[in-house]
Amino acid sequence: MRSSALSRPKTPQIDMTPMVDMAFLLVTFFLLATTFKTGEIVWVQMPRSVAGLNLPMTDLLTVFVDKDGRAYLSLTSPPARRAWLQRHAQVNQVQYTEEEYRAFEMMSGFGVPSTQLRELLQKSPEERKRFVQTGIPAKVGDKNELADWIILARATIPRLRIAIKADATTPYKKVEDVIKTLTDINVLRFTLITQPKKLDDDAGY
Amino acid sequence: MLDIDDIPNPNRLRRLGRAKEKPGIVTDMNSMVDMAFLLLTFFMLSTTMYRPRGMELVMPVPDDEKTRTEEVQAVKASQALTLIAMPENKLYYYRGLPEAAGFKPLTYDKAGLRNFLQRFAQETEKPVVLLKPHPDCAFENLVILLDEMNINRIGRYAIDRVSEQELDLMRSAGIPVPNS
Repeated sequence: MRSSALSRPKTPQIDMTPMVDMAFLLVTFFLLATTFKTGEIVWVQMPRSVAGLNLPMTDLLTVFVDKDGRAYLSLTSPPARRAWLQRHAQVNQVQYTEEEYRAFEMMSGFGVPSTQLRELLQKSPEERKRFVQTGIPAKVGDKNELADWIILARATIPRLRIAIKADATTPYKKVEDVIKTLTDINVLRFTLITQPKKLDDDAGY
Repeated sequence: MLDIDDIPNPNRLRRLGRAKEKPGIVTDMNSMVDMAFLLLTFFMLSTTMYRPRGMELVMPVPDDEKTRTEEVQAVKASQALTLIAMPENKLYYYRGLPEAAGFKPLTYDKAGLRNFLQRFAQETEKPVVLLKPHPDCAFENLVILLDEMNINRIGRYAIDRVSEQELDLMRSAGIPVPNS
């Protein structure tokens, strides 16, 4: 004890306690604030706009339109998705098993005609990723499955907000089909999802 | 001139050493800090701060074609501006009623479209803009047009289909129009 106190130069002792406090505070914050990125149903390069309307994270139905014009639907919150599929099963008189319901809850969205839905639900998550989804038929005609799904979603969630997330390069006629579908079922107020840009930015062409 | 206190006195040193020792247990916090920051980094990277943003669009109540054309015609020709978004990011406009000589090109950048709309909004009383995206134009073009409506505070605008008559007039004005 004596010899060490005399010979060894004093190593500075840093009090780590406040740092630990801070680190754990931040950990707690991020832990609570985080919502794990759920893989989006399809990757879409959104057009840019200065519009800054924030969309809610709940009760939101997003119509994805990819650059080939295929439509996908994505509804927030798994319990709502289950209720949505239950209504669909009721209306179309089909039965889904508990596993299929669970698979539907886990999927953030889908883009297949309802005839292919069961096939999609029976796949494992890995198989599903590789499965080419052909889009929900939105052709404005006597049968419009996209409209049916949206009507069911509105019946499931009364305060539903509807948004269109289309690719910047999607031909307008494909988006027009979706808009026409919406206005035909009296959805006159909806949101076009864009990514932010500055007022002075030009489109680059 | 040594002070009596400076004499290295073994007993005193021992006492000093004891006094410095903290009461209780001193834990080594380093590993805890390591772990805390590891978790912090993980959550920081995995979290998505992204919230979807967008522009609100309110469409008119769909009614039969007749009332719609009547409404459009009720707008005075001097108030009306029609923007036609063509494929390959081409943009044309005409004022008032369509005629072959009236179609003029415009660019999507600030110097083109925004300046033009600013002037139009200033010199026109109750400006009305019709946005007519060609079926084959990119969706982005419509978004830019809608965005410019908001930026230039043009409250009265509508999205409509580009008519065959307009396309024919454009063809006769020498503007390339894809066959749809």
